[in-house]
Amino acid sequence: MLLTIENLQAEIDEKQILKGLNLDIKPGEIHAIMGPNGAGKSTLASVLAGKDAYEVTAGSVMFDGQDLLELGPEERARKGLFLAFQYPVEIPGVSNKLFMQTAVNAVREEQGLLALDMFDFDEYAKDKIELLEMRPDLLERSVNVGFSGGEKKRNDIFQMALLQPKLCILDETDSGLDIDALRLVANGINALRSESRSFIVVTHYQRLLDYIKPDFVHVLYDGKIIKSGGFELVHELEEHGYDEIIQQSK
Amino acid sequence: MLKKNTRKISPMAKAAVSHYIEASEQLNKESAQEEVVACRTRAQALLLTQAFPTLRDEAWQYTKLVQFVQNRFEVAHLTPQQHGLTIREVQSFLPPYQAIKLIFVDGVLDKALSDDCTALPKGLSIEFTREAVQSSSEVEVWLEQEDLVNSEPFGVLNNALLAEGFGLKVAENMAIETPVFVLNIQTKLNQISVLSNRVMVGKNAELTLVEHFVTLLNEAEQEGVEACTNVVTVMDIAESARVRQVVLQQQSDLGYYFHNQFIFQSEQSDFNSFYGGLGSQLSRHQNHLFMNGERIENSQNSACLAHQKQLVDSRTNTQHTQEWGASRQLHKFVLADSAVGVFDGMIGVARAAQKTDGQMDNKNLLLSNTAKMNSKPQLEIYADDVKCSHGCATGQINQDQIFYLQARGISKPKATEMITKAFLMESVETIDRKDIQQWVAQEFSEALLSGAYFKTDTATE
Ligand SMILES: Nc1ncnc2c1ncn2[C@@H]1O[C@H](COP(=O)(O)OP(=O)(O)OP(=O)(O)O)[C@@H](O)[C@H]1O
Ligand SMILES: [Mg+2]
Repeated sequence: MLLTIENLQAEIDEKQILKGLNLDIKPGEIHAIMGPNGAGKSTLASVLAGKDAYEVTAGSVMFDGQDLLELGPEERARKGLFLAFQYPVEIPGVSNKLFMQTAVNAVREEQGLLALDMFDFDEYAKDKIELLEMRPDLLERSVNVGFSGGEKKRNDIFQMALLQPKLCILDETDSGLDIDALRLVANGINALRSESRSFIVVTHYQRLLDYIKPDFVHVLYDGKIIKSGGFELVHELEEHGYDEIIQQSK
Repeated sequence: MLKKNTRKISPMAKAAVSHYIEASEQLNKESAQEEVVACRTRAQALLLTQAFPTLRDEAWQYTKLVQFVQNRFEVAHLTPQQHGLTIREVQSFLPPYQAIKLIFVDGVLDKALSDDCTALPKGLSIEFTREAVQSSSEVEVWLEQEDLVNSEPFGVLNNALLAEGFGLKVAENMAIETPVFVLNIQTKLNQISVLSNRVMVGKNAELTLVEHFVTLLNEAEQEGVEACTNVVTVMDIAESARVRQVVLQQQSDLGYYFHNQFIFQSEQSDFNSFYGGLGSQLSRHQNHLFMNGERIENSQNSACLAHQKQLVDSRTNTQHTQEWGASRQLHKFVLADSAVGVFDGMIGVARAAQKTDGQMDNKNLLLSNTAKMNSKPQLEIYADDVKCSHGCATGQINQDQIFYLQARGISKPKATEMITKAFLMESVETIDRKDIQQWVAQEFSEALLSGAYFKTDTATE
């Protein structure tokens, strides 16, 4: 098992958001998580990534054989957990390239590899830039500053391609993407698929899932997973919405 | 004046004043031209009646001199001592770019360490204050703005101890490509370096001036050197001349630094200045800028970085007196621990100064809950057709930015360093010469990476 979440409960500002969530992910699997606005999908993603505004009040999370909740956010990232944000942050003055070089080297250090200098990094990044058709100037510019919504999302997937994580959590990466960008991002994700790499894809829409064909689909509602199934569940949701499933779960 | 006569002076301040007056008197016994002696003597009288500012003086309400007044700094140039420094020991303070280097040790010019001033580029001449006060006919240059210099308390002290520093002169139409680099190294405890500098840049001439203030720590004094630097720079920028100035203050955390600059610009001239303030327990860098002509441009920028109990004070007073002047300012402070920042900026626009374009921004980043920023941007406008603005924003570091970097494997201290550096660089990048800009950026990086500004205990959660 790559990730085991048991009875996870978490709160923010004393408001409980996650209310006993369970999820198992094996290496190589793709899990889609859908659910109405405010259900707690981003909260789950943030708790897994280690954002300290959230307090875990019960439950456990094992990641690749270790207690994930014991680790700081940077340690989680270095051990192979990656979160593509619903809203990637702008960082004025920090160049995208320096940022990613620093990040890649932090992960390499963890793996006992030598740091990449600027030239090594350029070489290493080359095919990832091509894969995502990143405009070269986006690398020279400040992180996400002045990027369009779609460019920010693509930048996050580019980072994912560079960091080669074990578990990729994508929080609504497909929102706000035009048709071509969606295809690029989907290609990026598919290119990273492997026997050992797993994905959690949070989304509201079928279109990304059509490209990447998840193994499992879960419905998250009110801080819990209330239904799990295969790809067919997506069609069911598209047709009937969440109401029926929510009623059944009560 | 009357009011000042009646001010109450504490016994502590009185003792400090008589200490400096005595030093000034002793200087007067050395060989000096009559006018210089008279200038010092007038300053002594002012010192006696005004002493040093206290918290009751509005311009000094955040910049407390209590500690300074308790010291009796010895005037280093009264009894210049053998310091025995070799060029190797000062190497780390020298810039990586080519420059004409003038090196002062504890406020005393060291000719052996400095570059040969008899082989200067055509159009540049340098005279030293010490020689000027003794014999040169150029001494007038040092005395011209006596009253103005005396309008500032540390200008008074500077005039009372007038004897060291440099005078730079660039002839008309001469562009001096190589920067003039002036270094002052504090090496001894309890000394005051007093530099009285004059800069004259002729019509359509060009000059780049870099000033670096540092402390050389010996092993016994790792904690720092409690020493003081008092500088007055009077600069005259003639018609269509261009001056670029970079001042980097990196004295040890126990030092004091007071720098008053009086800058006169003539029509169509350009003054581009940057102040980097990282050192000293108390520092105050002050520009008094007079735009006496049409179509003058200038930019005054600063980046200050302080921690522990440091106080950094950066202030500007920019007077637009004629039409079509453009002034730009960006002042950035990063404050950690219990550091205090002070920014005071005044843009004055006289009735005749129509079409003035003045802009002044002060942005501050607080790295702790106990750091404090006092910001006072002001406009005083008497013309009606002008475009002037000022802005001031103080905030904490954005935790979402830190988390974003952490989520990519970057440690919290490193993430904080990256964001802080980026914040300061906006100001550093106004230095429009790449080699100097990179040097300043490097100095800031090294200071930040030394780790002293960020708490590491929060590295994980
Ligand atoms: N600081 C906070 N204090 C109180 N409630 C909060 C806070 N932050 C988030 N919430 C609440 O937590 C709930 C879950 O939010 P979350 O962002 O996880 O939802 P989501 O499933 O990702 O929704 P969406 O589909 O709109 O992205 C929401 O009801 C939200 O209002
Ligand atoms: Mg969300």
